[in-house]
Amino acid sequence: MTTQTDRIQSKSSERVLTLDPKQNVKGVSNFARSMRRLRKHRMAIFGALLLLFVFLYVVIGSLIIPESVSVYNDPRRALQPPSAEHPFGTDVIGRDILARTIYGGQVSLFIGVTAMLVQILVGTAVGLIAGYIGGVVDFLLMRLAEAMLSIPQLFLALIALRVFADPARFPDFTFMGRRFSSTMIVIVFVIGLTSWMRVSRIVRSVVLSIREQEYVTAAQSIGASNWRIIFRHVLPNCAAPIIVSATLGVAAAILLEAYLGFLGLGVRAPTPTWGNIMGEANSYLDSWFYWFFPAVFIMLTVMGINFLGDGLRDAFDPRSLK
Amino acid sequence: MTRYILRRVLQSIPLLFIISFILFNFTNSLGDPLAIYAESRNRPSARDREIILKRLGLDRPILEQYLIWLVGNDWMPPVEIPTDNGVRYERGTRRGVLRGDLGISFVTRRPSWTRIEERLPWTLVLMIPSYLITVVLAIAIGIFSAVRQYSFWDNLITSVSFFFYSMPIFFVALLSIYIFAVQFKRWGLEPIKWGGTGDGTFASLLQHMVLPVFCLVAIQLAGYVRFIRSSMLEVLNQDYIRTARAKGLAEGEVVRRHAFKNAALPLVTLIGLDLPFLLAGAVVTERIFAWPGMGRLFIESFERADVPVMMTILMVLSVAVVVFQLLTDIVYTWLDPRIRYS
Repeated sequence: MTTQTDRIQSKSSERVLTLDPKQNVKGVSNFARSMRRLRKHRMAIFGALLLLFVFLYVVIGSLIIPESVSVYNDPRRALQPPSAEHPFGTDVIGRDILARTIYGGQVSLFIGVTAMLVQILVGTAVGLIAGYIGGVVDFLLMRLAEAMLSIPQLFLALIALRVFADPARFPDFTFMGRRFSSTMIVIVFVIGLTSWMRVSRIVRSVVLSIREQEYVTAAQSIGASNWRIIFRHVLPNCAAPIIVSATLGVAAAILLEAYLGFLGLGVRAPTPTWGNIMGEANSYLDSWFYWFFPAVFIMLTVMGINFLGDGLRDAFDPRSLK
Repeated sequence: MTRYILRRVLQSIPLLFIISFILFNFTNSLGDPLAIYAESRNRPSARDREIILKRLGLDRPILEQYLIWLVGNDWMPPVEIPTDNGVRYERGTRRGVLRGDLGISFVTRRPSWTRIEERLPWTLVLMIPSYLITVVLAIAIGIFSAVRQYSFWDNLITSVSFFFYSMPIFFVALLSIYIFAVQFKRWGLEPIKWGGTGDGTFASLLQHMVLPVFCLVAIQLAGYVRFIRSSMLEVLNQDYIRTARAKGLAEGEVVRRHAFKNAALPLVTLIGLDLPFLLAGAVVTERIFAWPGMGRLFIESFERADVPVMMTILMVLSVAVVVFQLLTDIVYTWLDPRIRYS
């Protein structure tokens, strides 16, 4: 630890020496410095490229192959191995697996990103409330977070999904000419609402430490409102850990969706996702192409996110002063 | 210390009440638990249905049901049950969770604890060896990687663990079954047996354990290697390591006695937090390998809305998490005398 602080001190003294008060020196913000570090992080760049590849695959793929291909079935060509006509083969009722990984991928990625947004919003809100109000509210919210952390997320999600994804209450809906199962929306909230706990703990601890800072007291004494303090002082201080957990949260959400889909208890037909394609393919072990391709896309996405998230964590780490 | 433990135990009591209340509400709205009676050959009539609901206490408000689940209904006034000749009064027989009665399974109509007793050993047979292998291998690989930071081997280990860290377990499982069972047969090799627990002999059990244990290790190992590597690296940069080297200690001694002992502290926390979740089994792995463990028990009772069994599994888990957290804290003070709880 001492070496670390020594380094910080010598670094800052250098900076002070080179500062010329007459010159209008433009400071580099912490965030900009972090982004510069990120650009030099080889693993992070690799991760970002992987993600770009997956993203382009589901976007450009859907421009080339119309959605009708992914739902067109012909039992006479069921479970055909990859060929020029069907590069990834066909599934058990003769649908093109390539097209299904494209359209299923869109849904999987959508679920990953939106579930992350729910998780971050709820986690931040709970953390702010617990940290600011304190007392009984804080105690109850933190016990709730602890309670939810002591049950495997998969169990919680399964139960919540069964309770809320009632097909009678939420029928299929049509969007941009495609039919979707409403379970797709329900699952976003189920995943988001079963994974906010860590974010709320981070935000709460930042609130508690920030409240004691002198500049916050100063802000309060000149009449800054609570909201101003939250947006000017608290949230910017949580930004780095929130961005990291948001990134990794997308991977966790995609994986959880895949596990639910694999168990046959996730998003329902007619909406394909990488997870529920795997779930269908589970019984057809010999037709390797059926489960192999969706699994590869899950893996590439999760790997890309993990690389990027790891890079972000390094880049935001104030101890790495490059 | 005693006071600290006492306070923690007291704090965990409201926690367990919150957990059980939330879970009780959710599991009870999963669907019609009588649906399984409807599957059976002698389907209950509407009136039988009413009688069953009354006897199980499922017609009462959810708060009252929760109270019965907690403290039983044997002390409550008898329930009116309609019969062919008038009404009969029946006394409740449940003693409640707080008095050690975890309820009767809706499906097997035996105490739900017996369901756990049947399945828990199978889960442990799978989880304990895979967890031990994971931790031992992770310590070895993590240290190996950390003392050679940024070398070829370190980079290779880091990349491979990132790869496995991102693998969904069903992918590893399906791939390994495909290669070691399906393809081995095609290549004329002896395929590894999988699915179920074998024919009862120890040798056959071992053979059936190979693939699931391999998958569980492959998935868990990566995270632990990364964890141990980074905590080793943190310790290796400390001044006392430099001092130890300056004293002229052998490098092995420095790594083992000075660095690893300190790097193992966060590992103890991690293990303490992960151990209770071994009891939950591995839902997906058990499903793929048809392993009769806790994960599958949960899914089975989930699919049939068997509330008492689900609640038992969930409460066993929550209690285990609370207990292990406390144990971890206690072990921690013993391992690291610098820490004092008050």
